[in-house]
Amino acid sequence: MIELENISKTYKRSEGVTVEALRGISFRISPGEFVAVRGASGSGKSTLLNILGCLDQSTAGSYRLDGENVSARTDKQLSRIRNGKIGFIFQSFNLLPRTTAVENVEIPMVYNDGRVDRSRALAALERVGLAHRASHYATELSGGEQQRVAIARALINRPALILVDEPTGNLDLRAGAEVMGLLRNLHGEGRTILLVTHDDAIAAYTHREIELRDGSIVSDHRRTGEPMQLAPGGAS
Amino acid sequence: MMLGIVLGITSLAILTSIGESTKRETMQRFKNMIGTFDTVMVRPGGGRLRGMPTLVNVPPTLKFDDAQAMADLPEIRNVAEMQTAFDIDVKYRDRTSAPAVFGVSDNWLTLRSDEVADGAFFTSEQNVSLARVAVIGPDVRRDLFPVEDPVAKTIRIADVPFQVIGLLKSRGAGPAGGSLDNIIVIPVNTASRRLFNRDFLTMLIAQVKDTEHSGQAADAVAALLRERHHIRPPAPDDFTVTSPTATMARVTRAGSTLTKILTGVALMALLIGGVVIMSLMSIAVSERRKEIGVRRSVGAARGDIILQFLFEAVLVAFVGGIVGVLIGWGGMEIVTRIQKLPPLLVWQPFAAAIVLSILVGVAFGIYPAWKASRVDPIQALRS
Repeated sequence: MIELENISKTYKRSEGVTVEALRGISFRISPGEFVAVRGASGSGKSTLLNILGCLDQSTAGSYRLDGENVSARTDKQLSRIRNGKIGFIFQSFNLLPRTTAVENVEIPMVYNDGRVDRSRALAALERVGLAHRASHYATELSGGEQQRVAIARALINRPALILVDEPTGNLDLRAGAEVMGLLRNLHGEGRTILLVTHDDAIAAYTHREIELRDGSIVSDHRRTGEPMQLAPGGAS
Repeated sequence: MMLGIVLGITSLAILTSIGESTKRETMQRFKNMIGTFDTVMVRPGGGRLRGMPTLVNVPPTLKFDDAQAMADLPEIRNVAEMQTAFDIDVKYRDRTSAPAVFGVSDNWLTLRSDEVADGAFFTSEQNVSLARVAVIGPDVRRDLFPVEDPVAKTIRIADVPFQVIGLLKSRGAGPAGGSLDNIIVIPVNTASRRLFNRDFLTMLIAQVKDTEHSGQAADAVAALLRERHHIRPPAPDDFTVTSPTATMARVTRAGSTLTKILTGVALMALLIGGVVIMSLMSIAVSERRKEIGVRRSVGAARGDIILQFLFEAVLVAFVGGIVGVLIGWGGMEIVTRIQKLPPLLVWQPFAAAIVLSILVGVAFGIYPAWKASRVDPIQALRS
């Protein structure tokens, strides 16, 4: 599913100073895995997320996604890959304001073949339990509802990989638990999910943890036994 | 936001259509006076003359013989002789009028592309035999014959009796706006010997054979007259040759200079409108960074983002352009009514104004749109 080999990313700052955000990272993720990438800020998590999400390209190394080499592509090709193979879920939901829930879910279809299928968007909202809120504006929804709309949006083009960035950071525990429950269900259906977090409780939902420090992988291990659950109202 | 564009397009539409409409009107009036464009005109006197040449304000240098000699030139088809005088007292019973009296040769109608509305024009025989016959313009008819049929009536021109034999068709207004219909036309020989008692002409109108080369014909006429009048350059000519084509070009150029200046002002307004669009689109881009991030993350290429923001800028400019054109149209209606210009509907400037507003939208929207496409999606989405 995902094969990273020796991925490096160097940023050029002013006056020839370069910053090495990733230093030769390699790992594989098989279809259906639920993986957490952890690390402190500045560890290279965001850079890795950008590269995995085809929003940025590595300076060196190769990246195969769903059997396709996606290194060294044009902006247009990367955009098509993002549209067809990747679903993003962000910490701050990022729904368009002044736009209804169902219209938000439809946005990826606009950039797919331009044909917007309202019934598919409604079905996706149904899946996240928000069919009754379809025609509400994004700003009228609670945080948890917004994130569920964002999940429906991420799923609409049936992506091969779902990338999640701190999905519960802006949510209270109850809403966070609901969102994580949804993600676990998606994993249960065989979706491949990669989640970036620094929260132990969130990482505990996953089956595998990759830890980054200073742009390198310091540990990569599978969780044994049943994953932990974030209990509503419980401490974390 | 669109005010600059609206103002720019409004003034541009008004100015260019007034310019265009005035130009057409000037050409029409000019044509009213000249009749045809395939002519060369000769006036006595070398310098500039104020107003129309008449028997009282021109030197007696242009003679009937000159006309005859000009008619023999290979470049010339036909020459009309003219003796003109203005404000001549004309009476019919107790009614009076003070029209211009034109003594002309019998080829006048062809040379001026004039027409007789009623009755007939005089013949060459009537000219040779000094017949006292007159063809009157519509204004004279209105003054002297409000109800009667003027044909075959006898009028007194400066106390000399003339028989009315015809009625001229209306020619409308001349370039200065005055009527060209307040006129009586009589045979030029009759005018010379029986009315004015002058043996010189006030104007010669020569019809050229080849309209394309009316300049050459004018040169040939000037050379002939210099020879006949024994003028050796650098001595100044005692006549002036003009061709309507050249005069027309000068008149139109004067009009277009004004149009150019005003168009410049309007373009300035449009430019300011464009800059306003650019800065407001730039603000919109920074306010909508998140939206750009979302669209990029779900598969919008940079080109898609550019198109989206460019379309928005063009839409704003286009709506501004439409509003400007509507206001401009209204303004145009008001101006034509105040200026008493004919309600001439010139649509081209309005179409051009709309196209121009779209171009302004593209020109000033492209930079903000490009900036939008360069927004880093992840940074935008995490902020």
